[in-house]
Amino acid sequence: MNSFAWASARTIAEAATAATTTVSDAMVASPDAIDGGTKSVVKAGGIDLLDLLKENLLTPGTVVSLKEVPGLDAVAEEQGGGLRIGSMATLANLAGHPVLRRFYPALADAIQGSASPQLRNVATLGGNLLQRPRCWYLRATEFHCLRKGGGHCFAISGENQYHAIFNNRPCAIVHPSTAATVLVALGASVELTNAEGSVRRLLLEDFFVAPDTDVQRENDLSAQEILTAVLLPPVPASLHMAHLRQGEKESFDWPLADVAVVLELDRDGSCKRASIVLGAAAPVPYRATAAEAVLAGKRIDESAVREAGHAALAGATPLDKNAYKLPLFEALVRRAVLKALA
Amino acid sequence: MAADGTTRTEKFPFGIASVGLGEVDRQVPIDEPPPLAPNAELAVIGKPIPRQNGRAKVTGATRFTVDVTLPGMLYGKILRSPLPHAEIRAIDVSAAARHPGVCAVLPVARSDDPSASVVRYIGAPVAAIAAVTMAAAEEALRLIRVDYNLLPFVVDVDKARESTAPLVHDSGSVPPGHASGFPAPTGLPLNGNVRGPAVASRGDVAQGFAQAGVVVEGEYRTQVQTHCCMEPHAIVADWRPDGLTVYMSTQFTAGVRHELAAEFGLPLSRVRVVVDGMGGGFGSKSMLSKYGRVAVALSRQAQAPVRIALDREEEQMDSGNRPGTWQRLRIGARRDGSLTAISLVGYGTAGVGLGAGVGNIAQALYACPNFETAQFDVFTNAGPGCAMRGPGNTPGAWGLEQAIDELALRLSIDPVVLRDRIDPSPVRREERRIGADRIGWQHRHAPGADPGPIKRGLGVAQSLWGANVQINSACEVRVMRDGSVEVLSGVQDIGTGIGTVLAQVVAEVFGLRPEDIAIRIGDTDFPAGPPSYGSRTTASITPPARTAAWRVLQELYREAALALNAATGDLTASAGRIFVRDEPSRGMNFGEAAARLRTDQISAVASRSDDYGGFRRRMGDAALAEQDLGGVQFAQVAVDTETGIIRVERVVAVQDCGRPINPLQIESQVQGGVLMGLSYALYENRILDQHTGRMVNPNLEQYKLAGPREAPAIDVVVLENYQGQSATDAYGIAEPSNIATAPAIANAVYNAIGVRLRSTPMTPAAVFAALGKVPSGSQ
Amino acid sequence: MVDAVSAFIGQQAAAEGSSLTALGPGAVPISLKVNGVAQTLQVEPRMTLAEALRGPLGLTGTKVACDRGACSACTVWLDGTTVCSCMTLAVEVAGRSVTTIEGLANGSQLHPVQAAFIEHDALQCGFCTPGMVMSCAALLERSPDPTAEEVQRAISGHICRCGTYPHVVAATLAAAKA
Repeated sequence: MNSFAWASARTIAEAATAATTTVSDAMVASPDAIDGGTKSVVKAGGIDLLDLLKENLLTPGTVVSLKEVPGLDAVAEEQGGGLRIGSMATLANLAGHPVLRRFYPALADAIQGSASPQLRNVATLGGNLLQRPRCWYLRATEFHCLRKGGGHCFAISGENQYHAIFNNRPCAIVHPSTAATVLVALGASVELTNAEGSVRRLLLEDFFVAPDTDVQRENDLSAQEILTAVLLPPVPASLHMAHLRQGEKESFDWPLADVAVVLELDRDGSCKRASIVLGAAAPVPYRATAAEAVLAGKRIDESAVREAGHAALAGATPLDKNAYKLPLFEALVRRAVLKALA
Repeated sequence: MAADGTTRTEKFPFGIASVGLGEVDRQVPIDEPPPLAPNAELAVIGKPIPRQNGRAKVTGATRFTVDVTLPGMLYGKILRSPLPHAEIRAIDVSAAARHPGVCAVLPVARSDDPSASVVRYIGAPVAAIAAVTMAAAEEALRLIRVDYNLLPFVVDVDKARESTAPLVHDSGSVPPGHASGFPAPTGLPLNGNVRGPAVASRGDVAQGFAQAGVVVEGEYRTQVQTHCCMEPHAIVADWRPDGLTVYMSTQFTAGVRHELAAEFGLPLSRVRVVVDGMGGGFGSKSMLSKYGRVAVALSRQAQAPVRIALDREEEQMDSGNRPGTWQRLRIGARRDGSLTAISLVGYGTAGVGLGAGVGNIAQALYACPNFETAQFDVFTNAGPGCAMRGPGNTPGAWGLEQAIDELALRLSIDPVVLRDRIDPSPVRREERRIGADRIGWQHRHAPGADPGPIKRGLGVAQSLWGANVQINSACEVRVMRDGSVEVLSGVQDIGTGIGTVLAQVVAEVFGLRPEDIAIRIGDTDFPAGPPSYGSRTTASITPPARTAAWRVLQELYREAALALNAATGDLTASAGRIFVRDEPSRGMNFGEAAARLRTDQISAVASRSDDYGGFRRRMGDAALAEQDLGGVQFAQVAVDTETGIIRVERVVAVQDCGRPINPLQIESQVQGGVLMGLSYALYENRILDQHTGRMVNPNLEQYKLAGPREAPAIDVVVLENYQGQSATDAYGIAEPSNIATAPAIANAVYNAIGVRLRSTPMTPAAVFAALGKVPSGSQ
Repeated sequence: MVDAVSAFIGQQAAAEGSSLTALGPGAVPISLKVNGVAQTLQVEPRMTLAEALRGPLGLTGTKVACDRGACSACTVWLDGTTVCSCMTLAVEVAGRSVTTIEGLANGSQLHPVQAAFIEHDALQCGFCTPGMVMSCAALLERSPDPTAEEVQRAISGHICRCGTYPHVVAATLAAAKA
């Protein structure tokens, strides 16, 4: 890692003021640039940041820790019945949190299945949502790819077995956050606070940025903002949800595919509304709207489940090494719907 | 033979204990001990003793090479080529040399020397720095200016075979031998990037196929696998005016010492190699290697100790690998299963190196009068391969054992029954019998028979490994006047627990407990030990340990006999005492006998004698025993045909290693072999980006190793297979336990889904392609 | 240049009415507890906890195998919970309590997990062992009677190339009953 100074913010304002750049912006450079270490970035758990620093993908002059900012890790029930999760809440605390387990079990499952016990003890939900993609071309300085300011996506005609099957031009990354798959399905929002204390809230789904909007970042965070909370809407009793993931291995692996299903059922058991999101499928968590349409307004029987699985992959444009994701996703969508109904 | 050529006749236990033991007569040198009884009659040999260095390891006290710090030690770092094939026009180290923290600079590649001016893979060493801190070394490395001229390159093995492929080597740069140090067959033709064939044959294959009632043919591929030792390659080189001491994470202290002496023009007596904790080798740490050479040269230049420890990226790109292979195997057989012909063509890539073969398992495992093989090395611009746990035979078994499985299906003969017909080994017959029973082979159904998306299956495969013996192995045993006992050898413990085994062997001789024996190993100041590769450590060093202990015991007997007024031949040592065999009350404690010694300590050094029944072959410092090592493994898998995921639920591994000395450690070894084989079958893959030649997964995150949740239930059975060949009759097990696992899993997968996967790793993409759910070109 | 940045932040913060001071990038003193003993050491902010333990503190029991949090060999306890010390900065553990493998035993009395590892041969080369022991011991603190599957999940971040997983699980289950 390069030599950097260390500062510990005591307030959101301090952190937002001290940070001069987002990590994404700091990683955009010309291949030979030595940025001279003038930038300051914010650190949450630091699991992604340390990885990037050790690979020399960014060389900040100062790292500003959020650990000392009080209240950022709090999990609190909102007055309307929703849940406010502080961005610094660790994945370990969330995976075992009684309110998540009871009311948002799919989210607890997704978080529990991420990373390793050691990393979950330190990694935060905010960091998890903001982490950079795992694309191995992005993660190596030797490849000056599109996302880092270069002219070329190496994955599209390269080693793309773990890359996107939807919306994979001009960049083929998959969004790396498994929690995000469920959060998007739940209609979660994020809260961003700036140095003046102004707050903006937007749907997580809208917070993510597609490559054809801006290929150099995955989200709409600006350097002057801190992600301070994730807001979950209330969960009526009629809401059923499930999350499934499949890694190449079960021990500590990134998913080849993961699926979140949230179903709102009518009193007679038919499906009023469906939310089906595919993770590790596209640069942003992918809303399988065609599959959702298959289930909405219907009594979900075996044939509807099969049809939904099939519809989820409509419009997929697999690359030459990741077509296997299609049958895999189809199976996971079917199984996740059944699990949600169980 | 004893030094003066005299021997005596002795009767040794012979055969497989679970089948029934007989006896065999052997000629034993008169200065070697009498035969050891079968394990059941012994006090500590054959018992599951906890390893003697366990406490140090679980408390973090064990010093690995990366933990060694010497006063004034510098940190070395190697600059590596960022290009897969380039000519170096200039190297300018002057700015680096001026860095205040730098104490030595070593160019490795040279622009002015045609034999050293070309780099041929990303990661190839170019220059090296030793500095007062690692940070200074890294900074200084960035100051080195290299002018590269990129040359055409090729990393795909199929493309490299084409006549129009860019040339990886010129005539002068083809390596003379394998990176593991084994000599390569000389004089083989080189056509473009293809070197070979290395051929072997017996009988008349054309006639053999003509006689066949059925012929199966298949092509099989295996990936490049990296060793992923948890401790990286590491060395601390301490060059001093009076000699060179090197601490190294090595599998062969004696061999490294020889290399250092030769390379740096030093007498052996002025070179010392030391290793205490050693964090895994698996074949990649057998030699001094480039990084070792560099560390010593830097130390000599700086006149200070220098430590070089590779980081994980360097480990993945340039510390050796198991070559990838492609083979076409054709097997002809009569209707009753007897084989008439085997024809094997293999192409493999060890990157810029040699040694990409599929071994001799197809040639040696089954009875077949007609055989031919032609094996080729294909050069690619990638890091050189080297030996990895069962080199050759591991990818070889992947092909052979699936082909035999296919043959069994074609003949409608059970795969275990077929092997009973064609496998001449009584040991493997017994292993098949035990394993089939344990796995429940009788419940095996027809391929693909399970309804529903999760389909289970059973499969079997066998391993064969030559029982290597290092004749150049010696061991010293000392008894002190206070009754303490030491065993000393340069042999190294790379995780197998050889120290504990030595303690058991020596304790058995003296009638002591293993914890009474102090083990001093891993230091070339002690008698030179064998390498810990080729599964030969136990076979090489335990007989000298027993022999040396026995010789020392005779001296103790002489002292005790005088005091007891008995004949030395009447004495025995057991349960901490030395006493008259027929009058146990007439004796003394071991310590009392030691107290009678004329001097503070007595010792004997013994070296490995020839196998009593003779070796099959001698090759310099090493030899091959008459009987091969082997094993039979059965796997039970569950294939989720909707997700493409293969789950290995159970493996039964039935192995042999002569006389098993420590069943607890052996079980660990076999479990380790099975897990490595499983990982090879399902997850691991060194992936190169075709356009740049760069490894895209040089880490432990995207290079996927089997983790705790992938571990199946592993049932280990180890035969006692007495052969009467040495003072301990004990052999190794590391490689035989790794060779059969992948094909056993593949055969179980076939049984589960009725489709054969012929390439490793068996990823979900591969399973879907086999099931026709995804076009195979789009894997 | 970096000192200028620190000054800049200080100035900015001062302008805001607060005073966010930066430490480093040169070495700064930190105090922490390691294995129950108060320690003060000089660390650059970029130094990881693993480097601080293995270097200035001379506690080489904690091993670095991948340096990226992918293998868990470097596992230590930070205020009682397991973390990868290679993915933890030394500066951020100032004022906190670290337990390493050297601090697990009670003098010469081994922790039950350590004793069970020896008895069940849950180690081979031993390089991943310290981290593995720390994970298993931490598991038994919070879950005194785990199932085999729970043990597997607790150690799911660990990579062992020698293949000790089956014996590690057996040892941990045995230690739970001890």
